[in-house]
Amino acid sequence: MSNSLVTANLQQRPIRTLISIIGVALGVVLVILMVGLSHGMLQEQGRRNSNVGAELLFTRPNNYGPGSSAVLSLPVQYATKIAELPGIEAVSPIGQYLKPSNQSFGMEMVEGIELETYQKVTPISISEGKNLVADDEVIIDQVYHHDRKANVGDIIDLFGHQFRVAGIYQPEIGARIKIKLSEMQKLLGSKERCSFVYIKCKPTQSQEQVAQTILNAFPGNKIFFTRDIQGLYEKGLPAINVFVKAVVVVAVSISMLVIMLAMYTTIIERTREIGILKSLGASKKFIITEIEKEAFLISVLGTLLGFVVAIIGRFLIIKNTSLIIEFEPLWLVYAALVGIGSSLIGALYPALRVANQDPVKALSYE
Amino acid sequence: MKTILQTIDLKMTYQIGKVAVNALRGVNLAVNEGEFVAIMGPSGCGKSTMLHILGGMLSPSSGSVIIDGEDLSKMNDGARTELRRRKIGFVFQKFNLFPTLTAEGNIRLAENIRGNGSRKNDSERRTEILRLLKLESRLNHKPLELSGGEQQRVAIARALVGYPAIVLADEPTGNLDSENSQIVLKMLQELNSKFGQTIVMITHSAEAAEVAQRIIRMKDGQIVQ
Repeated sequence: MSNSLVTANLQQRPIRTLISIIGVALGVVLVILMVGLSHGMLQEQGRRNSNVGAELLFTRPNNYGPGSSAVLSLPVQYATKIAELPGIEAVSPIGQYLKPSNQSFGMEMVEGIELETYQKVTPISISEGKNLVADDEVIIDQVYHHDRKANVGDIIDLFGHQFRVAGIYQPEIGARIKIKLSEMQKLLGSKERCSFVYIKCKPTQSQEQVAQTILNAFPGNKIFFTRDIQGLYEKGLPAINVFVKAVVVVAVSISMLVIMLAMYTTIIERTREIGILKSLGASKKFIITEIEKEAFLISVLGTLLGFVVAIIGRFLIIKNTSLIIEFEPLWLVYAALVGIGSSLIGALYPALRVANQDPVKALSYE
Repeated sequence: MKTILQTIDLKMTYQIGKVAVNALRGVNLAVNEGEFVAIMGPSGCGKSTMLHILGGMLSPSSGSVIIDGEDLSKMNDGARTELRRRKIGFVFQKFNLFPTLTAEGNIRLAENIRGNGSRKNDSERRTEILRLLKLESRLNHKPLELSGGEQQRVAIARALVGYPAIVLADEPTGNLDSENSQIVLKMLQELNSKFGQTIVMITHSAEAAEVAQRIIRMKDGQIVQ
């Protein structure tokens, strides 16, 4: 029946209870959305980068994957030389450049391609408009077309220059905006350079064998199997992991402080009631448990509210932006643990303080 | 007759700044099992201090308090709390009910604490006490929906949960009008006679003290009569 003391106390101050629940929910939402966003964007990037027909990707060490600077550091001549090796069907040099987004927050990737070779190593096709021909033209994918409301003939600003949308391509491969590689090289001052080379193997050849042949020919470089790229992105990168940890710390702090403050004001207000409990013979353990039960109930409600808000938030973000948010079951569990755990910890200090209160002084509190 | 409560040379000194205030100056008291004792005295004579010490909520400066064979003065805070849970029932002047709980909720909370969380209770005794206190129809009401007399009767019912060896009542009629005071005093008397409940009541009202079997008078921290 002491549970009814817990619920009765929460009902007595509905606004404070609600604010406490919202405080816990805020921490839970922060964890779910920020972690979901960072992982979602990485996974989406990985998925698009692995969505090519080429089986291999040749690059400099540390010049590809999540967290790479994606600069144009690889001489394009490598593509020509790799194409001469046995077992190779086609190659295509690619330039990738990460730039601040023009219209939304965050960064966006731009790819420089040689359309002729690119079509040989990927399943790209133009669904609307025409192919990339002129230097001041770009092609965009369906998502960019939809999210940015960019249509064929529209002007896009890239690297301080104006580019006209020549066509819309499909499926989603690599960056959503593609310009000619030669134009990217010119604008970035990296003549005859690219970021990596896509390599399509002959169907009869073993990918592993071709990869080894290339590495033997050009030691000191790196080969990725495109089938592994998504996994590479899913593992994330150290900077993102640090970011995620920072988000968790902030979320824990918010929930903990909200509960600590709420419980502290609660016990000050209920000092006399604590005195009554002590006069009835309630042990310190009993009193601490009562306070912790209140915190637990608030945290469970806060966590549930956090889940609901996160689901709604994800829906709205995905609907209105190009951002991707992935809900991972393990992180949902972590978020719940953050909400509940931080609340229990936050309530501990007020609970310990009140449990050690002098019963006579508590009873005389007005 | 078994002595259920005994104090031996009980002293209590409060240090207020640099001034030492002697609230109790060597109180020797013995209360037998089943006795209804009233302790009378003017304000500031040490009645409340003594009640708090008898209930294990204060430690005396010196002397002993023996309750049902257990020396309270030698116990630490945890042991005194445990003894209070098992053997002491408190009734306060200001009722001290939980305003958020119904009358039944207040009683059940005490049952839960006294049953050490196991919800062990004696429903037959409970029903009998509630009938005697005329509370059966008021159980679903919160304290603010009850009269002062009813609130004090709920507080008495709560104090009786778990078969306490002694009920310590601190001015139980101090906040009641004369009609309700009479009802509450009569009920305390009935609880004493019907259940053999030992009651130590502090009061400054001679009229209230009259219902007790024995009246002890205090003055300046000492028993004078």
